[in-house]
Amino acid sequence: MGSQNKGGLLSGGLYEGTRVSKCVFYRVRMGVPPFLLTPLQPDLVHSDMSKEALTLADMPGPSLPGFIYDLFCRKGMSRLHELQLEGKAKYGPMWKASFGPILTVHVAEPTLIEQVLRQEGQHPIRSDLSSWKDYRLSRGHAYGLLTAEGEEWQSIRSMLAKHMLRPKEVEAYGDTLNSVVTDLIGRLEHQRGQSDRKVVADVAHEFYKFGLEGISSVLFESRIGCLQVTVPRETEEFIQAINTMFVMTLVTMAIPKWLQCVIRKPWTKFCQSWDSMFAFAKKHIDQRMKEIEDKLSRGETIEGKYLTYFLSKENLSMKSIYGNITELLLAGVDTVSTLSWSLYELSRHPEVQSRLYQEIQEVLQGRALPSAADVGRMPLMKAVVKEVLRLYPVIPGNARVVADKDILVGGYVIPKKTLITLCHYATSRDPEVFPEPDSFQPERWLTRDESRHPYASIPFGFGKRSCIGRRIAELEVYLALARILCRFEVKPDTEGCVVRPMTRTLLVPDRQIDLQFTDR
Amino acid sequence: MTARFLPVTQRLITCTRSVLSAPILVRERWLLNNGRHRLFSSMTGMLRSEDKVIVNFINRDGEKITTEGKIGDSLLDVVVEKNLDIDGFGACEGTLACSTCHLIFDDDIFKQLDSATDEELDMLDLAYGLTDTSRLGCQICLKKFMNDMTVKVPEGVSDVRQAADMSKTTSGI
Repeated sequence: MGSQNKGGLLSGGLYEGTRVSKCVFYRVRMGVPPFLLTPLQPDLVHSDMSKEALTLADMPGPSLPGFIYDLFCRKGMSRLHELQLEGKAKYGPMWKASFGPILTVHVAEPTLIEQVLRQEGQHPIRSDLSSWKDYRLSRGHAYGLLTAEGEEWQSIRSMLAKHMLRPKEVEAYGDTLNSVVTDLIGRLEHQRGQSDRKVVADVAHEFYKFGLEGISSVLFESRIGCLQVTVPRETEEFIQAINTMFVMTLVTMAIPKWLQCVIRKPWTKFCQSWDSMFAFAKKHIDQRMKEIEDKLSRGETIEGKYLTYFLSKENLSMKSIYGNITELLLAGVDTVSTLSWSLYELSRHPEVQSRLYQEIQEVLQGRALPSAADVGRMPLMKAVVKEVLRLYPVIPGNARVVADKDILVGGYVIPKKTLITLCHYATSRDPEVFPEPDSFQPERWLTRDESRHPYASIPFGFGKRSCIGRRIAELEVYLALARILCRFEVKPDTEGCVVRPMTRTLLVPDRQIDLQFTDR
Repeated sequence: MTARFLPVTQRLITCTRSVLSAPILVRERWLLNNGRHRLFSSMTGMLRSEDKVIVNFINRDGEKITTEGKIGDSLLDVVVEKNLDIDGFGACEGTLACSTCHLIFDDDIFKQLDSATDEELDMLDLAYGLTDTSRLGCQICLKKFMNDMTVKVPEGVSDVRQAADMSKTTSGI
């Protein structure tokens, strides 16, 4: 797609209104700006679009020095989510910016996100994640679900999704996860016992360990001791490695390759953290595989509801199992920050907490352990988690690359292979879609509001490349919240202490969250 | 079930994209992957049996496809099993991660269906061309009363995802 399209074109960006010549591509509706309309026929559009649609050259956006200034001088790296809001206010729902060497088109309107996702193709590509791939190539590791593409990705996805995503299959992890929650409650008891005021300091750190123990139990069906009084050193190291890796992911992406020969530290740290994650996963996989072999050699049958076992039956190479399990482990840890945010918001909204407590009590009727089916009867619980994910989407900005064809989004031709950033944080805090967007109001999810655009808050993404751990993560959070709220009343440690989100590739709390856990 | 309306008015306007406009390569691939493509415009030669029901699909281009499916199988299973040529159907292979197996039911059948789970409703919200009688095909399992029902594949999903790779998965959805 070149600049030849510019002849006679308007250069004022998006707000030109509907032009007659655009009617080829859009359903004509007077007064509706083009970005609110959906392409009529992608195939037709594809062949004709070079004549009429706007191009990247017409798209507004910050200058390169301006964006670099924002990123490095205004702490933009940890404020990427806020830059989405600033960008939208300044340039409208679509703008371009260069993130280091990469030009990316930002899309910050639910309708536009829908347009992108509907054209993502048969094997959707999230983004290049070139540093993740470079590391694997340099170490001779296999790609896992997060890094693989095309047919390779499809076969792993199909294999894993049938065990991880189908709600019926996921219900079977309920018992395993409940036993991890039991340990979490014990751990919280222990931690609050260290303080006179029954305060658990830095709950997010506790929940990272819970996340790692939870995903390990699903992957290995064995426990690795993250929630014991003395946490194994390798666990702390693994969690630290994930942290470092995510910070360095953004840094290594923003620094051009030629400059990385001079500034070597980020890349070295990035590789070291991956090394330790791969080593951690390999150790646990080898241990489980050996147990499987021993059992087989004794003629025993193997039963198991854990993923390593399923993968071992699928004719997957060991290299591929290592690659996949490592990525699943890391994906299962940070995502549990939803639990930290939920308790943070519930502690600040005691009336919601009390109603949720009532709901859980009514469903459980005195039983100690909730099941996956019980959660289905807890609408407020689901609304609370939806609202938390709206306010604090774990992935504040996702991405798509359409590799094989140019696509039309919001009246612009997006050339193939362009990195498209989906600004989920901006859409989920859009006052047009969610009145009082910064306030915690789970009630908004209790009724299905037909005027609310469904793509405004899609924290797990949508479609075949959406979060594969979604159902497990949801179940984990529901089961944990139900048990925590039955056992404790959760209050803020210091009234008025406001915690804000910050970007670390994922969205995390910008400071530690301390909460008081009093007896119910 | 709560009355469901289209989330944005634009969805009311339907498009006219047909399977025939799918790129030739994609269609070829679909046929190759499935290997045993058949035509279903006729009921001749179909086995009649107690545990099977007849299902009519109105495809995106308006073409009627009549086929049969085993009781207990989902409508997605039927499409996969019978290799029905429905463009982009069932992209996530019945794992409730997309809404490409969206189907529109007749009122009387719709009323008799088991109610949708929250998970299905959430996915339906994201479907293209949602109606009051929409459901996801992967969640609807065939029952006797459904014999000879007609389900409509919504027109004009501007989505080029293909279900070609579905043949790799098991049918025990």
